[in-house]
Amino acid sequence: MNESVLSMKGIHKRFMGVHALKGVDFDLRVGEIHALVGENGAGKSTMMKVLTGIYEKDSGEIQFLGKLFHPHNPKQALSAGIGIIHQELNMMEHLTVAQNIYIGRETMKSGGLFLDEKGQNQRAGALFDRLNMNIDAQETLNRLTVGKQQMVEIAKAVSHDLKVLILDEPTAALTEVEIEELFTIMRDLASKGVAMIYISHRMDEIGQITDRVTVMRDGEYVGTNETSKITKEDIINMMVGRVIYEKPKVKSNVSADAEVVLEVSSLNAGRLVKDVSFKLHQGEILGFAGLMGAGRTETARAIFGADEIQSGTIKVRGVPVKISDPMVAVAHGIGYLSEDRKRYGLATGLSVIENSLMASYNKYETGLFIHAGKIRAITEEYVNKLSIKTPTIDQLLNNLSGGNQQKVVIAKWLINDAQILIFDEPTRGIDVGAKSEIYTLMNELAAQGKSIIMISSELPEILRMSDRIIVMCEGRVTGELDIEGSSQKEIMKYATMRENV
Amino acid sequence: MSDIGNNKKMGNRIREIGMQKFLAPAALVILYIFFGIFGRNFFSFTSLVNILDASYYIGFIAIGVTFVIITGGIDLSVGTVMMCAAIIGGTAYKSWGWPMWLSLILILIVATAFGYFNGIMVSRLKLPPFIATLGTMMISMGVGSIISNVRSATFPIRSEPDGWFKSIFKYLGDDGLTIPTGFIVLIITAIIAYLILTKTKMGRYIFAVGSNKEAARLSGVDVQKWEMMAYVISGLTAGIGAIAFAAVYTTVMPAQGQGFELYAIAGAVIGGTSLSGGVGSVFGTLIGVYIMSTLRVGLPSMDLQAHYQTFFTGVVVIGAVLLDLYRNKRASEVRILSPADTYRNTQTAKIARMKVEISDLNGAEAEAKKGELTALRVEIKATFSQMKKEEKTEKRRILAEEKAAVKAFHQELKGD
Repeated sequence: MNESVLSMKGIHKRFMGVHALKGVDFDLRVGEIHALVGENGAGKSTMMKVLTGIYEKDSGEIQFLGKLFHPHNPKQALSAGIGIIHQELNMMEHLTVAQNIYIGRETMKSGGLFLDEKGQNQRAGALFDRLNMNIDAQETLNRLTVGKQQMVEIAKAVSHDLKVLILDEPTAALTEVEIEELFTIMRDLASKGVAMIYISHRMDEIGQITDRVTVMRDGEYVGTNETSKITKEDIINMMVGRVIYEKPKVKSNVSADAEVVLEVSSLNAGRLVKDVSFKLHQGEILGFAGLMGAGRTETARAIFGADEIQSGTIKVRGVPVKISDPMVAVAHGIGYLSEDRKRYGLATGLSVIENSLMASYNKYETGLFIHAGKIRAITEEYVNKLSIKTPTIDQLLNNLSGGNQQKVVIAKWLINDAQILIFDEPTRGIDVGAKSEIYTLMNELAAQGKSIIMISSELPEILRMSDRIIVMCEGRVTGELDIEGSSQKEIMKYATMRENV
Repeated sequence: MSDIGNNKKMGNRIREIGMQKFLAPAALVILYIFFGIFGRNFFSFTSLVNILDASYYIGFIAIGVTFVIITGGIDLSVGTVMMCAAIIGGTAYKSWGWPMWLSLILILIVATAFGYFNGIMVSRLKLPPFIATLGTMMISMGVGSIISNVRSATFPIRSEPDGWFKSIFKYLGDDGLTIPTGFIVLIITAIIAYLILTKTKMGRYIFAVGSNKEAARLSGVDVQKWEMMAYVISGLTAGIGAIAFAAVYTTVMPAQGQGFELYAIAGAVIGGTSLSGGVGSVFGTLIGVYIMSTLRVGLPSMDLQAHYQTFFTGVVVIGAVLLDLYRNKRASEVRILSPADTYRNTQTAKIARMKVEISDLNGAEAEAKKGELTALRVEIKATFSQMKKEEKTEKRRILAEEKAAVKAFHQELKGD
């Protein structure tokens, strides 16, 4: 079992101004399940993208099955025997299971003239039997649960006769039962000699399923250890290093009698917002903690008017308001910074100035026209204030780094003079240096009297920034904690507090 | 010093936005000169007037359609809406006895109403623009025929008292002098459209909606309203185009206008407007329209018949978009500086510094420095090319090695 199937040595990768991989090493043995862990932005995904040919490495060496290996595209990697299952499923939901598995290499009959659906279904059925999966090959994909769809994706990958299978946070959207099923299948695959790279944030799962753990931090290789010889705390320490920003806040900066700027009571919206109530005080940073799918983003979107509200009241500075549309929310001084900047926060094809002003052109109209001088001046002012690194304010957004893009979104709401800011995963996809800049900025804003809701999946971030913490689980508020005396453990307790348990 | 800095900035800016903005006008000028040299009597006032005449109505609807395309939509109905409005106006004047000015206003109202209809369907009812405007295209063609009773409408000719409106688009002097006043109207319309697109809230929001509709909505932008306005403007310009058509061609036949929208869209695309939204300019569109009408007038002067025009327009459309794609790809490529590049950059900076020093010195000292400078230049050139060469060989070597490794690897796989 100690034979190496894949080794990566001294891998470097740079993007415009970001050194994403700084000489990373990685080693994988036949039939092992190897966890690759690290915080967001540590470089795990970049590493895997280099391995599967999505990115080309700048330097370094990959040895695969004892030979030098340099994939230029995913297809090459796949045909060599390296497959990846992404966090989001990449399949055609209107096709059948079998059609999805054999897409691009369909079973043919009559000398390659017609599709052999029957034969293909049989092949898929045999594949599922071999993998001990209970799935009907003729079912249309979108009729399966997410868990089953993931199984199909694994089956598809395995049908390529893989030597190495990469699983990027495969359990994020699965229920416990489905996770158990997945693990059974993974162990089965491992016994057949397939090596697996398992990317996950969930420490318990890593302990359960993996043989070895490799930790990355800030694009660097930290170390590799046998899972059985290492504790959860060790892994976390390796991930975090000695970075100071992890130090939690000791005491709330907000007095208990500060004005309530936003009061939400019994809010219901869709499947993931059930009877949510909370208060936000002036100058406060209110952390929203919880696992993925806890309904935090959905709550924010409902308050902001992006999604429909079924029932409940929202009061801004004591006045009940009916927020039916983001326009109304913005008019009441609420700003929302989405977790998915590129889709919901920015027009990446437009310039810094156009993005900064997107919410506020009204304020800079003189008569019919926009005052060009004034909007340039205000943009320059905020580019300096937030130290946004851009050659000119006419630069297109897709040429800026993640951190600077995030700052442009912040500038947009500051120019709009929003008093209540909802930061949804403010540091996702941002490198560590820019991260602490964003933290400093948020603290400054709170000190200036702006009120902030911060949704974050990173507990250290929650503990470092929040004055108070709301914990959600499956659409309900399960806990409200003062920063004083709260801990990761306590938050996790509330975050996993399911209704029927 | 500050002047130099500004000039440099300007130069960079021109280079940044340049290419695209200057490519289309340059193509137009080259085309014009080309026909001037190879065509018969092309460099004449008449053919210039012909070029201008041939583009009025397409020009107006192309301006309107540019607004819609920037929002990320498409308006297939502009051609038939234009002709529908024209024939209704003509019928109102001829059959219903409306005064000329009222008939012209009716034309504008009818066309704008169709634009409004499109806007409602797309922004409120969330119909895909392609489908909504395809429907409107057919509806407007039908409406024109129904109201005119499938009879053509003839507008008054120039000598009649009500023929005054023709002078708006073409002024005929007593001595046979023709002034293409329509060109001026088109330019004024284009300037107004330009101001709306670049200097007003509406324009900025139209770009924002086209670039990322959801982000605009989540910034509190009234997305529905601005999307709607783009279609209304498209309708209005179709109305102006209808008046221009009536002025130039006098007789309007029923069920005409199909195909005009494609020329308008082609004009916008040649001018650099992106069909995926968020990018575009009115003047680019105008250039695109004039490239097409230059082809239309120029090809016959080379004894190539009209059908060659459609052929070449097609070539130009595909060429323009290909060029744009290629250029965008180049622009977004990440350049990795090799040691040779870094060397050259630092040395170039050194030269710039020396130049500044020289400008402060005078006489013999300056001469000596200048000699130094020349020597340095030669040295840089040699070192740079040497480094580049080494890098290239190294790169080739690595590539060959990797290729060999991949090949061997695959053979081994097959062997298994």
